[in-house]
Amino acid sequence: MQIRLQEVTPDYIEKEKRIESQLWEQNISINKGEHLHIVAPSGSGKTSLIHFIYGLRKDYRGSIFYDNTEIKKLSTESFSAFRKDKISIIFQDLRLFENQTAKRNIEIKRMLNPYHKAEEIMIMAKRLGIGNKLDQPVKTCSYGEQQRIAIIRALMQPFDFLLLDEPYSHLDEANKKKSMELIYDECSKRNAAMIFADLKPLDFFKNEKIIYL
Amino acid sequence: MDLSYKNIESLIVSGENRLSKWLGYFGLGVGVLLLLVSMQMFVNIGQLLKENTPRKSGGFDFISISKTITNENMGKDNSFTNKDLAMLKAEPSIAEVAPLISNKFRVRATAGDIIPFSTDLFLESIDNNFIDTVPPTFTWQPGQMVVPVIFSSDFLEMYNVFAPAQGLPQLSEKTISSVNIILECSGPYGTQNFKGNIVALSDRINSLLVPQSFMNWSNFLLMKDTAVHASRVYIKTKDANDPKLISYLDQQNYHLNKDKVKFSRVKSLLQNIVSALGVFGILVIILALMLFSFYLQLMIAKSKDNLRLLLTLGYSPQWLTKSVARTWLPVYLTIILVALILTEILHLLFRQLAFVKSSDLSYFPDWSVLFAAIFLFSLTIFINVKLVKKELVKIL
Repeated sequence: MQIRLQEVTPDYIEKEKRIESQLWEQNISINKGEHLHIVAPSGSGKTSLIHFIYGLRKDYRGSIFYDNTEIKKLSTESFSAFRKDKISIIFQDLRLFENQTAKRNIEIKRMLNPYHKAEEIMIMAKRLGIGNKLDQPVKTCSYGEQQRIAIIRALMQPFDFLLLDEPYSHLDEANKKKSMELIYDECSKRNAAMIFADLKPLDFFKNEKIIYL
Repeated sequence: MDLSYKNIESLIVSGENRLSKWLGYFGLGVGVLLLLVSMQMFVNIGQLLKENTPRKSGGFDFISISKTITNENMGKDNSFTNKDLAMLKAEPSIAEVAPLISNKFRVRATAGDIIPFSTDLFLESIDNNFIDTVPPTFTWQPGQMVVPVIFSSDFLEMYNVFAPAQGLPQLSEKTISSVNIILECSGPYGTQNFKGNIVALSDRINSLLVPQSFMNWSNFLLMKDTAVHASRVYIKTKDANDPKLISYLDQQNYHLNKDKVKFSRVKSLLQNIVSALGVFGILVIILALMLFSFYLQLMIAKSKDNLRLLLTLGYSPQWLTKSVARTWLPVYLTIILVALILTEILHLLFRQLAFVKSSDLSYFPDWSVLFAAIFLFSLTIFINVKLVKKELVKIL
């Protein structure tokens, strides 16, 4: 699978920012197995871009393609199929079911299209240091713990692309590293591409491509 | 492993407004029960009164009318003229008209050796299409000495009432056909004897009916009279209780025996009552479904965030719609099955009632009731799926 951005630019962005950007109004292709790092300060449209690619927002000009399909033309049903089989995401705002336990949150995603067995949840949770948090309601976990729950959730399904929107904002360096390693391992297993948006370049991100918004 | 709704069930808030849910269940149950029971009773009433309405056949009522005898027209010719018959035929609520032609000559009947009985009587003839029981033997040709007669079953009943007092034997419907009557027909132009043979009993026409060919032939032979003088006319109508027909007949000063249509009146009254009950049932079902829809909207509105997140994570809208709608399936099925069982119980109790001849009614509900139950089940599921889909599309 390939994701292609064709002269994409948000409706709301000022002309000045558009001109300076290495991404807006450009033609960019991301193929399976590639790692793309998008770096930009707050408010420059990182989350918007991730949401455009994931199909949550349509307030942009230009086109985004999944292979040869323009995603604005995709039905909600087709989107759900892509999100189940091809594209996974870690949201900046996490989007967890607050009243459910950490395990249940992860399981809800895993059941949709199981790539891993249920036991893998505990293995990953232990690896990220939240093994003892799985049976706790998410709302009682710290934001950093919730971020790690969201990471594990995103890795439960098969995917060709993993979208990461500032996934480590509340993690310390050690946990950032552990999380990144887990994500790398999982992407390598699937030969999946990573589109990683963050405020600044991450030292241990083995990016092939870095783009400044 | 298949994706199961159970995994996400806890995310769909069932809401605190349980009262509207249970009221909805109750309303739906009552509505379905009312509708099914009224349908079954409608069929039962039709079935029970069918056998007792000889005037009704093929969807038509056959009723006799005559001119009302008043002090003013007493002693005058009160028979129907050709013009009267033409006017009756022109009336839209009357499908067909047939005069009862009576004998102009004198008829004397003796019952031969079996019953020592003799009397003057009258004979009449009418279009065969108006007779409820016409056996193939009910024909006559000149030269034939045996005249087939259709006898009124009311007359037989009357005969059996007074026969013992007169020292005469009572007769059953079967034995009457073996009674040979000698018909002595006489007029100014001659006398002729025939053998009368009762070939059938009529519930509809109170008369002694002979074939039209015999009546025309003998009236001409014995009286040289071929004019139509009918003091009674039978009319065929879609509905003898049609107020338009009744007011037309009143205007024309025609007399209609109201007893004759009493059965159809009772039947139509009862059927109107159960129809009204059925309509009420439909209204209750509509109200219950509306209540459900409010409950469903509330439930989806309350679970909006969770449902939206499920869709964001990749859950298919179609699967979610089906899964949410399917949770109601056992409830609807139970409600409709319980209503069907109660309908059957009420039907069986109805069969036990004193005035019901239970052999006329089947043990099982009518197919239309079963069909209605299946239809209602499909309808509720269809409405549910549509509603859930509509609400989910709203939150996308």
